[in-house]
Amino acid sequence: MPLPLEGIRICDLTWIIAGPTATRVLADFGAEVIRVEHGQSVDAIRLGRPIVGEHPTLNNSGFFNYFNRNKKSVLLNVRHPMGTDLLRQLIAKSDVVIENFSSGVMESWGLGYEELKALRPDIIYCAISGFGHSGRDKAFTTFGPTAQALSGLTHLSGLPGKPSAGWGFSYMDHTAGYYGAMAIMMALHHRNVTGEGQQIDISQVEAGIVLTGPVVLDYTINGRSWRREGMPPGNRAWEPAVAPHGAYSCAGDDRWIAIAVMNDAEWEALVRAMEEPAWARGPKFATNTARLANQDELDTRIENWTSEFEDYEVMELLQAAGVRAGVCQKASDRFERDPQFKARDWWTSLPHPEVGDSDYDSVAPRLSRSPGEARFASPLIGQHTWEVLREVLGMTDEEIAEQDAAGVLM
Amino acid sequence: MSGPLAGLRVLEWCDELGQLAGKLLADMGADVIKVEPPQGSSARTIGPFVKDIPGPNRSLNFWYHNTNKRSMVLDVEKNRDDCAVFQALAARADILVEDRLPGTMNALDLSYSSLSASNARLIHCAITPFGQDGPWANYASSDLVSLALGGPMMMNGYNTEDVPGAPPIRGHGDQGYNTACHYAVQGILAALLFRDRSGEGQYIDASMHEALSSTTEVGLPYWFYKRQDVIRQTGRHAAATRTDEWLHQAGDGRGIIIYGVGRDNASWKKIKAWLQGEGFGMNFDETRFDDPKARQQARGAPEAAEIMAEMGRFIAAHDAETIYRGGQERRQPWGAVRSPEENLDDPHWADRGFFVGATGEGVDQPALMPGAPYLFSATPWELRRPAPRLGEHTEEARAAVNEGRWP
Repeated sequence: MPLPLEGIRICDLTWIIAGPTATRVLADFGAEVIRVEHGQSVDAIRLGRPIVGEHPTLNNSGFFNYFNRNKKSVLLNVRHPMGTDLLRQLIAKSDVVIENFSSGVMESWGLGYEELKALRPDIIYCAISGFGHSGRDKAFTTFGPTAQALSGLTHLSGLPGKPSAGWGFSYMDHTAGYYGAMAIMMALHHRNVTGEGQQIDISQVEAGIVLTGPVVLDYTINGRSWRREGMPPGNRAWEPAVAPHGAYSCAGDDRWIAIAVMNDAEWEALVRAMEEPAWARGPKFATNTARLANQDELDTRIENWTSEFEDYEVMELLQAAGVRAGVCQKASDRFERDPQFKARDWWTSLPHPEVGDSDYDSVAPRLSRSPGEARFASPLIGQHTWEVLREVLGMTDEEIAEQDAAGVLM
Repeated sequence: MSGPLAGLRVLEWCDELGQLAGKLLADMGADVIKVEPPQGSSARTIGPFVKDIPGPNRSLNFWYHNTNKRSMVLDVEKNRDDCAVFQALAARADILVEDRLPGTMNALDLSYSSLSASNARLIHCAITPFGQDGPWANYASSDLVSLALGGPMMMNGYNTEDVPGAPPIRGHGDQGYNTACHYAVQGILAALLFRDRSGEGQYIDASMHEALSSTTEVGLPYWFYKRQDVIRQTGRHAAATRTDEWLHQAGDGRGIIIYGVGRDNASWKKIKAWLQGEGFGMNFDETRFDDPKARQQARGAPEAAEIMAEMGRFIAAHDAETIYRGGQERRQPWGAVRSPEENLDDPHWADRGFFVGATGEGVDQPALMPGAPYLFSATPWELRRPAPRLGEHTEEARAAVNEGRWP
């Protein structure tokens, strides 16, 4: 089947996670993503754990492999004037340039938007940085957890009266990457319609604040802050305010079931599924208001019930009754047990020269006519240098060998 | 100026799960008609409400996620004429985005095969909790339940010694719905680029479960390559084994995220000068602190532990914002743990024009809310109209459909 982004070439200057997430999306949908890598300043994720084998080799990071499938890698010494020249030639042949350096780096290379436009008038240039390329703090920098902290997302996650639980992974690296991918595709559509390219400036912190809209409005309209007592409310519902709503322990070590009861009908269904215990029939729990007022006791009683069961057993029992319930799945659960992923062929495998057969997930969402696809594993560093110089820049093997001898391709 | 999606007609039939997808398109210039039942989208019943008075036009959740859309009341499920109006709109739309449960559209003769028969260019995106098929397709979910099953939640929480017995924690803000919509829109845009090239529309099966499972960073690689599950830790990344703390409590009781201090000599010099200028770390001039390896926590050197203990005292003597700015000014990627609204006071966002004004029932003076997630130089994000009142555009839309055109 055709790929939706076939024929689109991306000059990918990104590293770590946020930028590579954006280009993973574009590569999954069929864009030709060319990672430009520099051996003197290598993508730290190429050394990121988990590593396959004893020592990092730049090519055996499972972390890197997960984020960089379907991409090509070119080694280019961008500090060498001839290397910069090759980069310029590659940009001239690309539809999109994307980077996630600190603000100002591209200008210092003489590759600001105006220069990029001179190389390719309809270029789409997407920059992802912590604070954006304008504003007084544009020189400040972030990792994912920094952006999560500043945007407010970290504070929204935790038990009242405790330190923030935060996000146990770089949610805002993923999500800034998603906004990058969406922005580039929107700009490509606009270019298809008008012929015009443009510059896109994404701040990872801003993208995080975008995900907190109703919380901000509750402050600007109702004057309420999430600094107030009792906030954040852990797994209890904020809005709509409903109960029970939480994660309850099940039989076994660190096994949990999430249950969300959104209305009285679902409460009735839960009570029936629990085989109508007497406590559940009292006035303390008859209405949502009453359940909210007696949430501590309610949660204890529900957990007494769930802890008698295996987690998947509770899930099946409650789902059969029409109650929203799901196991808090670990990666092993998703991969080994989750019947939904199995039935939809979600897991796949691709060969990789150094790490062997590598597991991957598939491409969400699923397009009927031109679906995205996991086609090949992540590239070895510099794996496609000669191929790209030959096929994209039209260089002869002699010319490439000359560059190589001059120390440009490293 | 108008957005990159100007001229695209979008028919949206979404509640809380899918409404962000419509907003992402509408905010970038698409003409989005939101179809709602007579009682309104269920998102209109989600609080908080303007001045705590419930009402279909007072939900701040609805306000935020429905900017730049028009609202048309159609009783698609109960009224055959209204269902025909929906079909007429779908026949003229570029994109249909809906979050009905699997089977609903088929039962109403609104399946992709039926709608595409009169509009081959239609891109029909169906957002559901689990996708259109499979044993869980008809299971009931919510933001919490999907974050649990998809994997993110099991990575968030506490070290047992910090909060004994703590469950995995769901971060708030409906991030499950948000992530489902981020993926749905990626699919819609990829399909749009395919249509630009081929003229053909298509169907998109967007599963929240799959979107969330793809949003767990190091969680999957550890299973793929080590057959190991990562463990939850307080205020930092889940990992295969316990790692050093990032989250510290500043003197004002607020959190501050800092990473290892002084890995390189240049930044160590700056941080040392900062601390010593205020009387902290006066022994850091001893030569044993000069080796960068001795300053890395992960290597377990006693110097590293000493540095972090002194940093802890330094942090406790300041407020979180001072540590954040002081660290950033010394090129450290640190961040204060803010509540979202605390960004309203940070002039950097004002420099970028980030917050924009919301108005509606009960609010005449614009109240600030987050604006553009991206700055486009040629076709910028734009707030053209606030979220619509329930059925605000029903009349004009019906009149247009009667005349055989898109409203």
